[in-house]
Amino acid sequence: MIDRILIIIPIGILIIGSFSIYVFSRLAGLSNRDEALFTSLVLLVTTFSLILLYQKLPDYVSSPGTVFGSLDTGGIVYTPSTHGIYILIIGSVLGIFITVFSGEYLSKDPRYLVFYPLILLTLAGLAGILFSKNLFNLFLLTELTTVSASALIAFRFHQEISIKAGFKYLIMSSIGTMMMLLGIYFVYRSIGDMHLYQSLSAADNFTRIGAACFLVGFSLKAGVVPLHTWVPDVYGHAPSSVSGLLAGVISKSMLFIMPVICLRLGLSARELGVFLIIFACMNMVVGSIRMLRQTLLRRFLSFSSIAQTGYLMFSIGLGLYYDIEAAFSAGLFLFLVIAIMKCLAFLNVGIFEYYYGTQDIDLLKGLSREMPFPAFSFSISLAGLAGIPLLAGFTGKWMVFSAAIEAGDLVALIGLGFFIMSSIISLGGYLPMIVRLYQPGNVENKLNISSSRMPISPWLLFPVAVLSLLVVAIGIYPTPWINWVTQVLNWMVL
Amino acid sequence: MTREILLPGITLIPFLGVMILLFWQKATKNQAAIIGIISEAFALIIPLILLPILRAQGEVGFSMQWIPNMAISFSLTLNWLSLVFLLTEVLVTLAAMIYSLGEKTGEKQSNFYYALLLLFSLGMSGTTLANDVFLFYIFWELMLIASVLLILLWGHGESRFKIALKYFIITHLGSLMVLVCLVALYINFDTANLDTLTNQAHTLGTELQIFLTAFFIIGFSVKMAIFPLHIWLPDAHTVAPMPVTIILAAAMLSMGTYGILRFPYNFFPVETLQNFAIWMMIGGLVSEVYGALMSLAEKDIKRIIAYSSVSQMGYILFGLGTLTIRGMQGAVMHVVYHAIVKALLFMVVGIIISVSEERDIRNLSGLGSKYPVLCACAAIGILGISGMPPLGIFNSEWMIFSGGFDSKISTALTVLTLIGSIFTVFYGLRFFGGIFFGRQGDQNLAEKTPKLLIVPTVAVTAFLIIEGLMPGALLTWVTNGLAGIFGGAI
Repeated sequence: MIDRILIIIPIGILIIGSFSIYVFSRLAGLSNRDEALFTSLVLLVTTFSLILLYQKLPDYVSSPGTVFGSLDTGGIVYTPSTHGIYILIIGSVLGIFITVFSGEYLSKDPRYLVFYPLILLTLAGLAGILFSKNLFNLFLLTELTTVSASALIAFRFHQEISIKAGFKYLIMSSIGTMMMLLGIYFVYRSIGDMHLYQSLSAADNFTRIGAACFLVGFSLKAGVVPLHTWVPDVYGHAPSSVSGLLAGVISKSMLFIMPVICLRLGLSARELGVFLIIFACMNMVVGSIRMLRQTLLRRFLSFSSIAQTGYLMFSIGLGLYYDIEAAFSAGLFLFLVIAIMKCLAFLNVGIFEYYYGTQDIDLLKGLSREMPFPAFSFSISLAGLAGIPLLAGFTGKWMVFSAAIEAGDLVALIGLGFFIMSSIISLGGYLPMIVRLYQPGNVENKLNISSSRMPISPWLLFPVAVLSLLVVAIGIYPTPWINWVTQVLNWMVL
Repeated sequence: MTREILLPGITLIPFLGVMILLFWQKATKNQAAIIGIISEAFALIIPLILLPILRAQGEVGFSMQWIPNMAISFSLTLNWLSLVFLLTEVLVTLAAMIYSLGEKTGEKQSNFYYALLLLFSLGMSGTTLANDVFLFYIFWELMLIASVLLILLWGHGESRFKIALKYFIITHLGSLMVLVCLVALYINFDTANLDTLTNQAHTLGTELQIFLTAFFIIGFSVKMAIFPLHIWLPDAHTVAPMPVTIILAAAMLSMGTYGILRFPYNFFPVETLQNFAIWMMIGGLVSEVYGALMSLAEKDIKRIIAYSSVSQMGYILFGLGTLTIRGMQGAVMHVVYHAIVKALLFMVVGIIISVSEERDIRNLSGLGSKYPVLCACAAIGILGISGMPPLGIFNSEWMIFSGGFDSKISTALTVLTLIGSIFTVFYGLRFFGGIFFGRQGDQNLAEKTPKLLIVPTVAVTAFLIIEGLMPGALLTWVTNGLAGIFGGAI
């Protein structure tokens, strides 16, 4: 019994934590920093419960009947999925950094009270999506993430542009969830049940149409290319810490849920694989080319995020199409490092914005003299994303290369060609950004700010410093992380 | 046995120097230089200590686990071939470090400047020593990143930002081609260890071998700045501060040669390489003539010498393309001699710029009577690069051309290359005559050449003469190194 309850404990902590923090802060009139601290405590507890669950995973894998909920018709089922726990551990650890960061970053916003509960709710929704094995439940929890994320995006509601971004995300994501609902209709019509506890034995064309609907829905939420139009607006205008969470963890995790659902609904691995590889190429091309001429840092990062979604899709697609384990481990490893680096990049932009009120690189030219450390750590994150050796991104790149060459087939090699092309084009985006930070220039004159070398709050510095260290550490000694990925892969049941 | 432990010190001690410099923010230029030179000197001393073991065993190895689940290890090996490249690179770096004491470069943030010079050299030593493809690529890129940062932070003029980007992106393109090959080998044999790969690579299919060889040669040719892949070189050499230019031109370019010898030449049988011989010879010829002609047409004295690198790398590619033992011996010797001569010439250019503050050859004349020592050094450098006996390049060009005649691939190409070398004399004499002969112009010249600049220049000149007169030891090393690669197959 305790085993069964353990499964939903992380979700429970997140949801209960969310409401109690809201009520408690409202009643006690907590300051922004206190609330941030409480939230990071909740996330810390969540992380521990996830680690506990992770350590017990072999038991769950060996006895497949241990689930939370009922397997009868109409019942809801939660199972601990291995990749789900992996994603959630990354998400909640990054969440801790993001809430600590927000403890200073949001100090100028009056509505901080709702921010932290919404972060927790978004993560709870994500956890639910990853654990739930019931289609309708999945739909509801996707809506939960969508709604709370769009509230977070439109957090600065006095700015028209944030409202627009939030609204855009809400509309686009709702279309995605509507597609899922349509998919549920097809599946239910065919098999009269909404369980997805294991692969459907009675998969027919209706369930396959349902799978296609889910594919479109998840693609939209992941920002796959023709459906990517919300990405730059949302990441560009949401609070920087929210952008970091969305770009780093939430939208990219959809790529790992998608294959599980679609394969169980009867799509073949090769169909899904080829879909992912083709659209991955489009993502890489669009992302890396659109990235080149951006001057707004967060818009720039959103396009690079589109390219990285492409890299992830490429490695997952390779894994599905050729059934190569190396490709899946490349995908999981890449997810980890991209999440860290993307989050780091967005947090650094947050620091620039917080002190200078702008994210325009032309105005921030020569920033390294005013803010040596954030400029340096921003450079580390960009260099890491560009795949420079001895930083985390390079090991990921090496793994994707190896997976593609191991496949050695025409499809894989064409995809690899796109991958190489995209990584070269995107160098033309990353490097000028780094260069401009170190170019001579005077930030104060352009922005009419008098103080030079202002002290940066430790609340902002701490997360950035830890994440930069992680990027370097994973780059220099990736062994433990690769071991982790291998272990996850061994326990994973698609 | 115990002395082999020293091998990783070639990379670790300079790295320690980098760490000290990074944390020593307030170091003056002299203090930073001392740290830099001392830690770099270890990279020179350790190989010399290991020389007896090398004589006895043929190679010295060191290996340590790094990423076991990807079969990647931190393993280094010193053999005769890497010894030649390693010593060349370390000596050039040391000369550049000493030379930059007399220069303005790096007076601000000297600790970073010397740290980056050390990292640059560390990247190159690692490249020559790495015995693991993953490690090789990391060092290969480290060398690129350090040099880009040096150009970015201490280069001349506003255009350096664009030029550094161009340099990075074009060279990175070459690196990625190399990376594809490295990963392909790694995947095929499931190991990153170079020794194992060397033993097994010939079992690959012929088509794959040809494909990999092509990618390797093109990828490394970017680093060697072979026409038409040279477009990054003239600009990068021009904007870089002089000590960095010296390292770029004299040491980094030769890493491409090392790569070609270490990978395709080491891995694949001669039958595969023969498909490329003629193309490498043609590429070498075109590069040789093109570089020399561009050098004749340039007005900026730094660019004249920069283009001469394109030309000289042409000889090396030609020598490699002959696929004869003499041609390749010549190519490797040419790497060494070219490094010395190029370092010397850039040092001379640096002194000319510092005494006259003028870079246009048309505004310079008659410096010979005012600076006789400088004039003598320049004369020896120019004679050296034109292939005048007994200076080193004569030896190596002799071997390259005799390799070309031996190879029977195309005698006509060899004759053309031989004739093409006349252009070297043209640009050399134009450079020397234009600057040192004639009537002294009305420009403001400093009274004396700075002592800190002229001393290393004279030392390098002396080294050039000695090395040219006594090529015996070098030739033995090179022959041993090439025998290690081909095992008498050619």
